[in-house]
Amino acid sequence: MGEVKLFFGPNHPGMHGNFSVHMYVEGDIVVKARPLPGFLHRGFEKLMERRLWYQNLALIPRICVPEPDINEACYAMAIEKIAKVEVPERAQWIRMIVLELARIANHLWSFGGIGGPTGMYTSMFWSVSDRDRVLDIFEELTGARIYHMYIIPGGVRKDFPPKLEEKILKLMDYLEQRMPEYETFILKNRILHTRLKGIAKIDTETCLKLGVTGIGLRATGVPYDIRKVDPYLFYDKVEFEIPTATEGDALARMSLKPKEIRQSIRIIRQALEKMPAGPVNTKISDGNGLRIRVPKGMAYARVESTRGEYGYLVVSNGEETPYRVAVRGASYPQGLYGVEHLLPGTRIDDVPIWLDTMGVCAPEIDR
Amino acid sequence: MTNSMNNNVAEILEKAKKLFDVRVEDIAERQHKLIAENDKTIPLLAFLKESGYSHLSILTCIDWIEEKRFELVYILFNWSNGVTLLVSTFIDRDKPVFYTVKDMWPTAEYYERDVHEFFGVEFEGNERCRLPLFLELWNDLPPLRKDFDPLKFSKEHFPDREYEKDAIHEAKIIRADLEDTRGDING
Repeated sequence: MGEVKLFFGPNHPGMHGNFSVHMYVEGDIVVKARPLPGFLHRGFEKLMERRLWYQNLALIPRICVPEPDINEACYAMAIEKIAKVEVPERAQWIRMIVLELARIANHLWSFGGIGGPTGMYTSMFWSVSDRDRVLDIFEELTGARIYHMYIIPGGVRKDFPPKLEEKILKLMDYLEQRMPEYETFILKNRILHTRLKGIAKIDTETCLKLGVTGIGLRATGVPYDIRKVDPYLFYDKVEFEIPTATEGDALARMSLKPKEIRQSIRIIRQALEKMPAGPVNTKISDGNGLRIRVPKGMAYARVESTRGEYGYLVVSNGEETPYRVAVRGASYPQGLYGVEHLLPGTRIDDVPIWLDTMGVCAPEIDR
Repeated sequence: MTNSMNNNVAEILEKAKKLFDVRVEDIAERQHKLIAENDKTIPLLAFLKESGYSHLSILTCIDWIEEKRFELVYILFNWSNGVTLLVSTFIDRDKPVFYTVKDMWPTAEYYERDVHEFFGVEFEGNERCRLPLFLELWNDLPPLRKDFDPLKFSKEHFPDREYEKDAIHEAKIIRADLEDTRGDING
């Protein structure tokens, strides 16, 4: 039997996200793969040009569902760069805590994601229930569980409610005692060893050539992290390490996630300790709070998301709406070029494993 | 990649000014914008890549409709000193053609396809840039151009629907002004 064309996704139960891959397969080996995004295109960049600067805050978290806060942070930081506004110190610490909590939530979510293609449903039950505890904190802080709209240009929307810090510390203690269980579960689990070891391998040279950042690059042994290289907020004032692995396969990428959660817990504890009292937001421009005007200019702001470098290029021409906003989704290189050039040679059932462990998030490719 | 030959940003910018005649604007502490002529952009990008700015974050486009030109922006990043450079060049809006950089950065092939789809910019040397990526069967102006009108497009393609539901009548039923005559779920 020769080549067979196979449409994999977007509604295949084993597919990761709203994404499709057209594959030519021989037996169960992929010979040629072509990524097909576009099932989720909502035209965010066009929508943003037709809304006020503040109205966009309700729109942008929808770009990336598992980790929405990075969008608000990038957008706000780009506007602050253009307007040359100093953000109050307390707001910067609060932003860091929110970003790290979002990071923990997304890493836990991706444990659940790996449960689908490997058939290990226990991981879903564990991680989703633990992620809910993080969402409870978000609910108390912002009133929403998923889309928080909390980080605004010039600071954050409001200060911590009373007793929230104690609750966060309690959650950190809980997650820390859960981490050894997760590590045992991933690194000493027969299912995952059989299904992930040596699968979806990528080496450092390919990563750097493609521009893959984040966990895909760190699993090849390169300790790159934007929080260290180009520190934003107060990441240069806290101590944390960058966990790396050398194998560069799916198991190495999965095993990094509990280690990254430990580092996030460390950052949150330091931030809560160092956070001073004071105001939490500042004015971007005079006049009506909703109809702010950002001075002319353009700026690019980037953060380290769980999937790599996530950035916003914001262009303003002095009007009430942005002139252009371009989003750099973190999974562009591995989700499009990587699928086309690195999947041939693997088996059909390893395609969702590539998409999950490399952190391909379809909404940020499609936008 | 990391063995950046020269971490001194000021020196790199001076060299770029001298060799490629660029105009430099400072955006933030570790972020600068370089505006170059069309014919010098590709050599400038190659020079910056050799100087340590080897990570292409994104290639995107801005439509300056009043000046009748597009601005292409290449955002480069240096992993060793954390400096971001925005390299920008202006091309004609009526004949938007530029050269590809996919030989320098393989991923740029997809960024170029993205820009071609949303702005209509052609990239010479990227033979796949005309293939549809996100917008299959799109037969209108590229949608991120400023002269594309989404309302007009949706009026043409998706005609208004008539709604037969009488909202006031429904509200009266909910308020119990009227008796619900629709029958129960089993009826």
